[in-house]
Amino acid sequence: MVEISVTKKYGERTVLDVSGLRFERGRIYAVMGSNGSGKSTLAAILAGVIKGNGEIIYDVKKPVTGYMPQKSFAFDMSLTANMLLGRSLRERKEAKNKAMRLLEEFGLGEMRRKNAKKLSGGETEKLALARLMMDDCELLILDEPTAAMDVNAVERAEKTIMDYFERLRPAIVIVTHSPAQARRLADEVIFLDEGRVEEKGSAEEVLATPRSDKLRKFLSVNG
Amino acid sequence: MWSNVTAAFEKAFALMGEGNTLLNEIVATTMEMCVQSSLYAMIIGVPIGALVGVARFPGRRAVVLIMRTLMGLPAVAVGILVYLLFSGTGPFGKLGLMYSVELMVIAQVILITPVVAGFTETAVAPAYDAMRDTAAGMGLNKAKIALLAVNETKYQLVATYLFAFSRSIAEVGAVQIVGGNILHKTRVMTTAIALNYNMGQFSLALALGIILMLIVLGLNVVASALQAGLKKRNG
Repeated sequence: MVEISVTKKYGERTVLDVSGLRFERGRIYAVMGSNGSGKSTLAAILAGVIKGNGEIIYDVKKPVTGYMPQKSFAFDMSLTANMLLGRSLRERKEAKNKAMRLLEEFGLGEMRRKNAKKLSGGETEKLALARLMMDDCELLILDEPTAAMDVNAVERAEKTIMDYFERLRPAIVIVTHSPAQARRLADEVIFLDEGRVEEKGSAEEVLATPRSDKLRKFLSVNG
Repeated sequence: MWSNVTAAFEKAFALMGEGNTLLNEIVATTMEMCVQSSLYAMIIGVPIGALVGVARFPGRRAVVLIMRTLMGLPAVAVGILVYLLFSGTGPFGKLGLMYSVELMVIAQVILITPVVAGFTETAVAPAYDAMRDTAAGMGLNKAKIALLAVNETKYQLVATYLFAFSRSIAEVGAVQIVGGNILHKTRVMTTAIALNYNMGQFSLALALGIILMLIVLGLNVVASALQAGLKKRNG
């Protein structure tokens, strides 16, 4: 579906340098690495939010993309209004039922009239995920989507992500610090170090028998 | 000095209590001018400030610098410029607006719009930085993002309007030049204060000043209630 070959520099520092990374529909990719390894930069460039030097080639056309950044933002309005943002008046009427259902799935149904600024960090993440799933995305990019959630909320969120995946079969790219989450969700793992792909392959192989010392060290520290 | 101040307060309350017709007329003209000029400045200045706040383009810093410099436009200089433009020999002389409330409004809009735009940009820019990635990830266009950024800063907008109104009601240089301080037509609170000072009627001048401040106080009370209401409604 999409192949990315880009570099990104901030001043003299190269934060990302990847070549020929492919993402296909019907696959879930976990992008992992230590802080500053380029994971969020890769996610943002793939989402088109920031530009890098290089090219992003789409097999057919640019896919319908949903992007959840690392720091989720809740707009100063009710949860329902947050869910319906960007839609025309006519679309809003039809979308309202879907919005209610998604809020319920994420355990936010009772707070639908509450101002989203009052949400906790974990609740904001749930809202951001729910908001993304209002659209039928072909490429879904989630940067640490469950970082601030408790264990129960993570389980619920992952179930909803998988339900979405099973229904639409998009390419899902999840940036995560958690090898356990990668094991649960991902088909493939991409491990970045200092902006470069250190190792990649099927999640089962890469996480069970990592070839790279850096990945081994990462897995021993992060479980 | 204190006797003048005391006399001023007594005079102020006496004037308000007796329902002085001339005072009422001056206050009405002042409010007509201030409400219009502050509203027009908001209508023009908020979109400009919001768009500059969310746009990222080469030379943006220079635009922001110019905008903030224009916040310090000298009122008398603006008055003279507007006078030259709208006087009988000026390019807009045929409109016949000299010494009218409309021209006073035009002069004040020129003065206050950069202030509104500057305050809006200062409020919107950090709000935009916080929401940028999320909004871009949702595929929202720049205009929608600017609207959302303004929504994030609505409490600051109330304060911006208060400042715009206060600047308008306290301004004397430009309105004196283009309005002429004509009795029953363009005399407003500040030009009346200046006139009474020039006539040596300090107590009356101070009294008018006190009344002006009470008007501004009343507006601030309403604005505070509005802000509190907004916060309560948003839970």
